[in-house]
Amino acid sequence: MATSASYPPPPPYYRLYGDYLRDPKSAPEPPPPVQGTYPLFGATYTTEDVLPSLEDQGVRQLYPKGLIIGWSKERLVLTLLPLLLLRLSALLRKDYKKELRALNRELQLHLLELADVLVERPSQYARRVEDISLIFKNLHHLLNSLRPHQARATLIHILELQIQRRKQAIEDVKRRREEAQRLLKESLQILDGHSV
Amino acid sequence: MDIISQLQEQVNVIAALSFNTFGTLQRDAPPIRLSPNYPEPAASLSDETINIAEQPKLMSAALVQAAKQFDVLVAALPLSEGGEEAQLKRIAELEAENEAVGEELQKQLEAAEQELRQVQELFNQAADNCLNLKKPE
Repeated sequence: MATSASYPPPPPYYRLYGDYLRDPKSAPEPPPPVQGTYPLFGATYTTEDVLPSLEDQGVRQLYPKGLIIGWSKERLVLTLLPLLLLRLSALLRKDYKKELRALNRELQLHLLELADVLVERPSQYARRVEDISLIFKNLHHLLNSLRPHQARATLIHILELQIQRRKQAIEDVKRRREEAQRLLKESLQILDGHSV
Repeated sequence: MDIISQLQEQVNVIAALSFNTFGTLQRDAPPIRLSPNYPEPAASLSDETINIAEQPKLMSAALVQAAKQFDVLVAALPLSEGGEEAQLKRIAELEAENEAVGEELQKQLEAAEQELRQVQELFNQAADNCLNLKKPE
């Protein structure tokens, strides 16, 4: 016994596709892909997938802006001063590895500080815990910003593999064609030999 | 798992170790005397106190080990030269080469298919001739 309502009927567009098998052009085209922002179940979503920067999320950024992958010019020792604002030093081209290592060391220092604070002034833990969570957020944001680079590197790898496979296929086809030509010539000679 | 996921996993492991460390130490710490007005708290000497003395060493060793592992993973990152523009340039070059190689493959395939059709046609003719030359019994 059905106590719930039955399913709604399918949309009536199926009538437009009645002649699709005979004439594919008589039916309407599928709708074009969505561009820009679109609403879905009351919420707006955007089609552009971009990692929001830390400032957009309201988190202080601890590593210098303008990190370029693979360039390591100077060694910079990251000293975390509590009142230091966002560092806009795009001239400092640091590579991701140094930044990650520096953040790791800072994290360890902060954990030690937290242990000390808990021993001596237990009521002031909140600030330290906040700093530690800030470092974690920076770490994860750095790692996430490496993903586009990884995607491009994967694409390069796939293209190289594809080119290699295609070249291999060309070689195979050439070889087989030559083989076939050779066999045909041989068979021609044999036939001529028989008929003479 | 790819290296970036491993790094992210390692960060989470460090976070888990750190809050487990502090949580365990806070939970198991014996009471301490805060002011001279109050008597000393009863210090119970048993297996638990021995364990409590060992735990910070073990847990901090684990934490430092995890941090070293993170450094090892960071060193293993294969970050190539140049950055975004160099990668995009390389992708464009590879696409052009792929296109050229694809056209050559297409040509070879078409030539091979044509030869195949010719050979099949010749076989058909030869078979017909054989059938026609055969004397009817």
